[in-house]
Amino acid sequence: MPEVVVPIGPHHPALKEPVNFKVIAEGELIVRLEIDIAYNHRGIEKAAESRDFVKVVPLLERVCGICSHSHTTVFVKGIEEVMKVGVPKRAQYIRTVIAELERMHSHLLWLGVAAHEIGFNTLFMWTWRDREAVQDSLEELTGNRVNYGINEVGGVRRDPTDRDVARVLRRLPVLEERIAKYRRMIAHEPTTLARFRGIGRLTREEALRYGTVGPTARASGIEYDIRRDDPYLAYDEVPFEVVTDTHGDVYGRTLVRIGELLQSVGIVRHALENLPGGPIKVATPRAAPRAEILSRYEAPRGELVHFIRTNNTDKVERLDIRTPTLANWTSVAVSLVGQHLADIPVVVAAIDPCLSCTSRVTIVDREDRETKTMTWEELRAHGMRFYREKRGV
Amino acid sequence: MTNGLTAQEVAATMNEFGLVDQVRSNRIRIVTPLPRVREALERARRVLACDHLVQIAAVDNRKSFELIYHLTGPHRTVLSIAAEVPRDRPEAPTVSDLLPPAGIYERQIHDLFGIAFVGHPDLRRIILNEDWPGDEFPLRKDWKPRPNVFYGGVPEEAK
Amino acid sequence: MKLSDRLLAWARLKSPWITIFNSGACNACDIEVIAAITPRFDVERFGILVKGTPRHADILIVTGPVTKKQATRLRRIYDQMPDPKYVIAMGACGATGGVFRGLYHVVNGVDQVIPVDVWVAGCPPRPDEIIDGVITCLQLMKEDLKHGGREWRTKRTSAPPAAPPEVTA
Repeated sequence: MPEVVVPIGPHHPALKEPVNFKVIAEGELIVRLEIDIAYNHRGIEKAAESRDFVKVVPLLERVCGICSHSHTTVFVKGIEEVMKVGVPKRAQYIRTVIAELERMHSHLLWLGVAAHEIGFNTLFMWTWRDREAVQDSLEELTGNRVNYGINEVGGVRRDPTDRDVARVLRRLPVLEERIAKYRRMIAHEPTTLARFRGIGRLTREEALRYGTVGPTARASGIEYDIRRDDPYLAYDEVPFEVVTDTHGDVYGRTLVRIGELLQSVGIVRHALENLPGGPIKVATPRAAPRAEILSRYEAPRGELVHFIRTNNTDKVERLDIRTPTLANWTSVAVSLVGQHLADIPVVVAAIDPCLSCTSRVTIVDREDRETKTMTWEELRAHGMRFYREKRGV
Repeated sequence: MTNGLTAQEVAATMNEFGLVDQVRSNRIRIVTPLPRVREALERARRVLACDHLVQIAAVDNRKSFELIYHLTGPHRTVLSIAAEVPRDRPEAPTVSDLLPPAGIYERQIHDLFGIAFVGHPDLRRIILNEDWPGDEFPLRKDWKPRPNVFYGGVPEEAK
Repeated sequence: MKLSDRLLAWARLKSPWITIFNSGACNACDIEVIAAITPRFDVERFGILVKGTPRHADILIVTGPVTKKQATRLRRIYDQMPDPKYVIAMGACGATGGVFRGLYHVVNGVDQVIPVDVWVAGCPPRPDEIIDGVITCLQLMKEDLKHGGREWRTKRTSAPPAAPPEVTA
């Protein structure tokens, strides 16, 4: 086992939170990495114990603004199972469409952010512009670009019209074409190849051992995907493939996410073209019987888990959330040992945490015992300079 | 992917720890006494091919604490290994050497519930801010914020 | 005003630099702020640039309800900014703590920590509303220049209302 690595992980939010690193290095090589990410703890799990099933949903939506639908869906489907209510098919399909649109917006966001980390700002602008097509679709179907508020215990709150569905379907071919273009670009651009290939490599054994989930794990050949392993919503009826790769590095994670983007387009298309008729919600009891449930969901970042205990009331007794980013931080610390300081932004971005707007990196150089602090911007600039000098990219 | 584990298969291996119960089509729950948690997890890992630690759920049921370790593997069955932690002695053996992701999860539970994980290499504060009083554990059922205690943020005088 | 002052004022109004601080937000506001930079909304055509460091910024955009862990850092970031500085509090969280109001690790709003000039409503506010907020801030800057500072709008002009008499019986 490598040097005792004690990473400090984020609590609930899966992305974009302020991050603080402590790096012990020998010159440019990382010996050990400590991550400090508690800046986002708000106390949501405790608050959930005093909010009823109607009030708690908007709270859970805002655990993370990028995968808000993931949190509300995994929660309501757990409560629905405890209450033994059958959610109408149409509602499940609508939830699936929103879930996949969320995956698309999240992966496009990630692609832009990863490009930004290596100074490839054109790709950042392009992906975020294409992402607006997904945001428009989400707004038409749910009424909001972010934090959609479509879920409630028992079904969904809004019913798309045929016109809404047609409008979303019309946008899909353009998105497919652009995503395919990005796939070609990643495989041929010298910048991406130099900055992504061989960086942050995790073998299959390491990825399993350190508990990685989501695209980070699938890039190391691990075929775990909750949509396939523990199907929920409409995933047992809609055809799709689990995308894996064997590179195990940042390049592999990029390929997996692009592959998933294309799969998501297919799922949205199939679900909208085959949208069942019928009601969008079903009446539910006010209280949930005493039970324990482990609700799992494949969020864009990986396996999201809500452990829920109910107690015959209209509130949960306990809600324990484990986000995918929390599961992946250990692998970041491990995979960065022996790599260069210049690779930190890319490897951290590759597990798809939130944008680190206010992160700071403290670097302790074992060789000359010097301690210095860099901001994320400085570290990103350092990375770009390092690779420009070393490899001319 | 292999076929799911049956309750019989799991019971054959894990019966000696405690009650084995199929709680869902793909989830089997095993109760184990706290001192045998490490052994139970190792057995699940080695014999039942559970290579992925999903979550360590921590619950305060007012009488005691519970730690539930959820594991899964290529068989896609979730094994929930549950252990009770006495309230008057909130300690549990660490499993971070057996399952590395537990390192972070145990630190978090320690911050919020005050359960000390014996043998953990570094049980420093991870989720609450540095000014939070060290003897208050917000996720315990009997915790309420006390007046006139500084829980972090900007102190009143400095505003 | 001296010519150099007028030039500086013009530069600040025509090309304000922004820095963003996430005080523990769910990130919805952050991505809408960044969406404001991207081609659909393109805030850069107004000359607005997003800079990573507070030392070069005119405007500080704060997202989040301010968690207890971020409060002192927010204060420090604000102190590092050169005068004249402006603060935009983003969303419901920035105003009162939003959906997180009252939670044990939250300070309940940006104005509990630093003075705020503009509040932008929404959860999250749309990028166009964010740009509107920034433009409002620029107008505020212009007004402040005319009055020679911000005291004209922050000084109390009358005594606070007297407390109502105790109700007895």
